[in-house]
Amino acid sequence: MYTAEKVLVLIIWMLIIPVFIGNIAAVGIGKYKKNLVFMWVMGQIILWALFQLICVPFILIHARLSRVTAVYIILTVILLLFSAGLRVRSRHAQSAAYILPDTWKDRTYWHHVLWGIFFLLLVFQMVQAARLAFTDGDDAYYVATATLAEESDTLYLISPYTGGFTGMDVRHGLAPFPIWIAFLARISGIHAASVAHIAVPLMLIPMAYGVFYLIGSRLCGKYGERLPLFLVIAELLVLFGNYSTYSAERFLIFRSRQGKATLGSIIVPVLFFLLLSILERMQEQKKVEKTLWILLTAAVMAGCLCSTQGAELSCLLLGVAGLCSSVCYRQWKLLLPMFLCCLPAVVYAVLYFVLH
Amino acid sequence: MEYVQMFQEYMGNGLVVGWYLVSLAYLLMKEKRRHVRILFVYVPLIILLLFFNPLFAKLISLMEDIYWRLLWLLPISMTIAYTAVRLYGEVKGKMRVAAAVLCVIMVTLSGSYIYQSSGIVKAENEYHVPQTVVDICDAIIIPGREVRALFPDEMLYYVRQYTPLVCMPYGREVFGWVENDLNDLMREETIDLSQLAGMAKEYQCHYIILPKDKQLVGNLLDYEYILFDTIDGYQIYKDTTMNFSVVSLKKDRTLLGCRFIVI
Repeated sequence: MYTAEKVLVLIIWMLIIPVFIGNIAAVGIGKYKKNLVFMWVMGQIILWALFQLICVPFILIHARLSRVTAVYIILTVILLLFSAGLRVRSRHAQSAAYILPDTWKDRTYWHHVLWGIFFLLLVFQMVQAARLAFTDGDDAYYVATATLAEESDTLYLISPYTGGFTGMDVRHGLAPFPIWIAFLARISGIHAASVAHIAVPLMLIPMAYGVFYLIGSRLCGKYGERLPLFLVIAELLVLFGNYSTYSAERFLIFRSRQGKATLGSIIVPVLFFLLLSILERMQEQKKVEKTLWILLTAAVMAGCLCSTQGAELSCLLLGVAGLCSSVCYRQWKLLLPMFLCCLPAVVYAVLYFVLH
Repeated sequence: MEYVQMFQEYMGNGLVVGWYLVSLAYLLMKEKRRHVRILFVYVPLIILLLFFNPLFAKLISLMEDIYWRLLWLLPISMTIAYTAVRLYGEVKGKMRVAAAVLCVIMVTLSGSYIYQSSGIVKAENEYHVPQTVVDICDAIIIPGREVRALFPDEMLYYVRQYTPLVCMPYGREVFGWVENDLNDLMREETIDLSQLAGMAKEYQCHYIILPKDKQLVGNLLDYEYILFDTIDGYQIYKDTTMNFSVVSLKKDRTLLGCRFIVI
């Protein structure tokens, strides 16, 4: 296979398939039917949740990566067919007026300048991600795990540090983000280290801003110069986020191939966005769409894929937000769906304690 | 009070987190939309209260040793950016541009430019690992089996990111939580090669990689090693007594512990 073909396979799996899968969520929530950013982000969240759902049981039964890959591809194709069916049924297949042209309706000079700055800074970060190598000790575990899984076809049975047998590494095996990288390497034929260090940051950095865009459009409105200003300031906070070695912003740039960076800079903001959408519906005294609850559950599962602490952080956020909004809106029945959304995380946490 | 120290370390120079706390206070006073107040004011405040609660800290620390990551639940960038946009919205006329520029200046001056920090180098290849490591691994890899090699500390992070076909007697864990006698010897200013050869054989190392400028006592050639290659200032010694044949799992399960060789 030629390099261009390999890159194309990655683009299909990291950009195009998530958009088509995200269509399922977009159809379920009317106002996002034409929003490509929403579809891309939510599609990837659904795909991560699906990967977690498949991968962890296979890890626990000592199955091989090739089996995970086969099952994941089959289920993704089923989801794609389901998505296509939904789109045809919803009769919006012909609509070409997607989100960017919509947002650009309000064309003031200042508005154009800010969007221009935003895209320039985004391209700059992506170029930097590809041309610079960020040294981090944890790569010796996470990237080596991906390389090892891809080449050995085993899952968490061999030490990525030395190559010796370790027995099942439960702590990391319950959050198999490196195996997702190994999967991308397997289907594309690109070396896992290249996928981890180049392809994954090139996907996750724009995706993090995609989530900022979704949140910004809820907070500031889609039109006018407020949204691009929001995004430019958020970008600057990332670019100047080296004030601490622990900040989520630094993790996004420095460690984007590690699941914990995705947890801090994508999953947590996605949880905020979904909670914001749910509370907005409550504020408007409208029924919360089931799709939003399903997406919230998927985001919790995606958090578990990224890091074992994903379970803890997502449950804490949902718990605090659920309690706060129940008190503020005097709607205690909100707690039940919030709890149900946390259930996958609870299951993984119990598994962790039982198996560790 | 470990969690207070964690918060201080998370704050870094304190300016960005300071702006966040100011933004939080501003939104507490000005934000009218209840759902925004809940998510961007009440929830972060409760999370901060929980973070500083010793009982909660004890409970969470039982589960994880990375308590500071709870602070990722504070939407710092979103809140500061949203507050800046609100302030911008309150300014009228030409002063708006000045307000936006002021926000940008304050943000950039408060933080630290991310690409100026240590640990960033220009990538030498598509794997983003040092080319020397790639060249050494390519030289010692034997198709169809693994080999075990003893590397100097500066290469430990990278070897197995590039290839799992090169195993090591110890890995990155020696930088923090595991002591290894062979690694201790490799770190000595002057290495006694008679001792190193003996220990490397005990660990079943096929190769020893040593920096050319390392101070050495003795000669590895006296201990059944040959100088296999010299790459970018590193000398690769090969143990001629080790088994280099291509093996399958069925023939020799114990050799190196890696059973995925395809012959």
